[in-house]
Amino acid sequence: MITVNNLSKTFHDKKRGTVNAVSDVSFECNPGEIFGLLGANGAGKTTMMRMLATILEASGGTATVAGYDIRTQGQDVRRRIGFLSNSAGLYERLTAREVVTYFGELNGLTTSKIKKRIEQIFTELDMNDFAEGRCDSLSTGQKQRVSIARAIIHEPPVLFFDEPTNGLDVLVARTVVRFIRQCKAEGRTIVFSTHIMPDVEAMCDRVAIISKGKLISLGTPAELRSEQGTPDFASAFFKIIDAE
Amino acid sequence: MRPFLEKDPTLKQTLPNLILIIFRKEFREIFRDKRTRMQVIISPLIITPVLFALVGVLAQGQAERTKTRTYSLGIVNSAAYPDFVKRLKSAAQSSPQFTLTDMKTEAEGSASIRDRKVETVIVFPTDTAQKLASSQIVEVKMLTDDGNENSQNATRILTGVFQKINDGIVKTRLNEQGMSVDVLTPFKVAEKNIAGAGGSGMLILTQMLPYLLIFSVFGGSIYAAFDQVAGEKERNTLETLLVSPARRRDIVLGKFMAVFSVGLLSAGMAIIGLMIPFFSHLKIYDWLAQGGLHLSATSIAVIILSVLPMCLLFAGLLLGVSTYARNQKEAQSYLGTLFPLVTLPALLSLFVGTDSGIKIALVPILNASIMIKQALNGNYNPSFIAVAFIASAAYAGLVLLYAIRSFEKESILLKA
Repeated sequence: MITVNNLSKTFHDKKRGTVNAVSDVSFECNPGEIFGLLGANGAGKTTMMRMLATILEASGGTATVAGYDIRTQGQDVRRRIGFLSNSAGLYERLTAREVVTYFGELNGLTTSKIKKRIEQIFTELDMNDFAEGRCDSLSTGQKQRVSIARAIIHEPPVLFFDEPTNGLDVLVARTVVRFIRQCKAEGRTIVFSTHIMPDVEAMCDRVAIISKGKLISLGTPAELRSEQGTPDFASAFFKIIDAE
Repeated sequence: MRPFLEKDPTLKQTLPNLILIIFRKEFREIFRDKRTRMQVIISPLIITPVLFALVGVLAQGQAERTKTRTYSLGIVNSAAYPDFVKRLKSAAQSSPQFTLTDMKTEAEGSASIRDRKVETVIVFPTDTAQKLASSQIVEVKMLTDDGNENSQNATRILTGVFQKINDGIVKTRLNEQGMSVDVLTPFKVAEKNIAGAGGSGMLILTQMLPYLLIFSVFGGSIYAAFDQVAGEKERNTLETLLVSPARRRDIVLGKFMAVFSVGLLSAGMAIIGLMIPFFSHLKIYDWLAQGGLHLSATSIAVIILSVLPMCLLFAGLLLGVSTYARNQKEAQSYLGTLFPLVTLPALLSLFVGTDSGIKIALVPILNASIMIKQALNGNYNPSFIAVAFIASAAYAGLVLLYAIRSFEKESILLKA
């Protein structure tokens, strides 16, 4: 479902000069798979995801998402993806229902379809109690559930999660993790960026470790642990990073 | 596995009008902001009429005080013309009153004015009676203080008193010669204000409407525009929107339409607020509305023609600033530069006549002010209006293009 070929991204910064945020990265991610992007802050994970979501333009290489080229078929790609980031905000002056409806409309869903999907999602995520509440009055957990509903209203085959549990309390984080697992069970293609080791080991089918924009290791958590001869995945990760 | 997009027959094959969807959402969200509601609706509908009422109350109060006030008057050589003192003392209670102080010299009068002991001093020549008797001109001096409003008012009232004295003396002299006073007035010109052509209110409207519309549209559009992009960056909602199927151009145009609509609504509300004094029939607005209001269909059309490109220009300009800024605070800091750019042309319209040359039609904002003035005066210049409209629309197009180009840059996300 996602094929990445030699993808690169270069930024020009006045102070730092040319910065290679992502260098020549290639990998594949299949339906029903949770593909982890692992790396320290500034490693290039978010840039990679933003390129795949077509909101940043690749400097080199290309990728296909759900069969569409990110460089030439941006709108087609965006119709088929959902994007969830912990840092993403909500429209505070709109209600939970209005936010989700808006994204349903933007994704081309009919009014009746939006109504049906909202009914379904709000029941699944237990959102009916605060459906008419303005987003600025919701708790962090409620907001996160609205973000999830917004990301899946159009039932995208591909989902990107950019550090979705970062900074959340354990209960809210559990909701997100459950949701990601449900998406996997539904056969969606999932790219999951994080630097929380237990999440990786517990959820990811395969992991790509990124450092300074380069893909330095790729495999299942068990494979990487075995390759490095470490008792746990976190130690394997540090060993790989340190060797780089 | 649930059906995905391609397989679901209930999904629309082609995307709907995303610009319209974005516009609807933005417009709704804008009006949930108290600041916008206050600026666009409450302020023009309440504050403008209240302001006019306040001006009316103050002006009427001032006029009343001027009429009935007691002024302090110094008279040098009052004995030379005692009739004058008698006349002032016999003034009706409803007329201005004077407390009189006898003075010996002009120098004493000047000093008294400087020391604020009196407000005005009249200096009669010692030979006043003799000159009057021999029909010579009596040169009376009136010492006043230009920096003292009461002195000015007293001078105006006393000039009226002298006019009446002059008229009376001239009439007596002419009668003695067997002539009518009419011999001095070959033409008697009477001004008559025609109802419906507009009175003093129209004059005030001509001066104020350009300002009011410019500031209303600009002020109303500020919060809306800054909330649209800079606000989205600040609240981290921009990335989510960019990941949607909407193209960046759709997003900017949707937001632009929303800001433009707020600008138009602001202009409409400003006009309604300004009309309230004219049509409310309240006594407090008599000073403004007594001459009526005359606006032809063409005048209204010209005003709309001037407002449309102005709303477009401000929407594009403010959206451009909002796109450039990292957050709303930064966007507001650019207002310091923007305000003079907007207020200066509006101020210049005070000094530029409605018959100004075609080059003026190229100056944004000023051209709109002149168009509004032309509309209210009824002396339209079609060439001016056409050039002004096209120029303003072109400027609006340029700033909108800048906003789209800025929005299409990656930096919009990286600066967030």
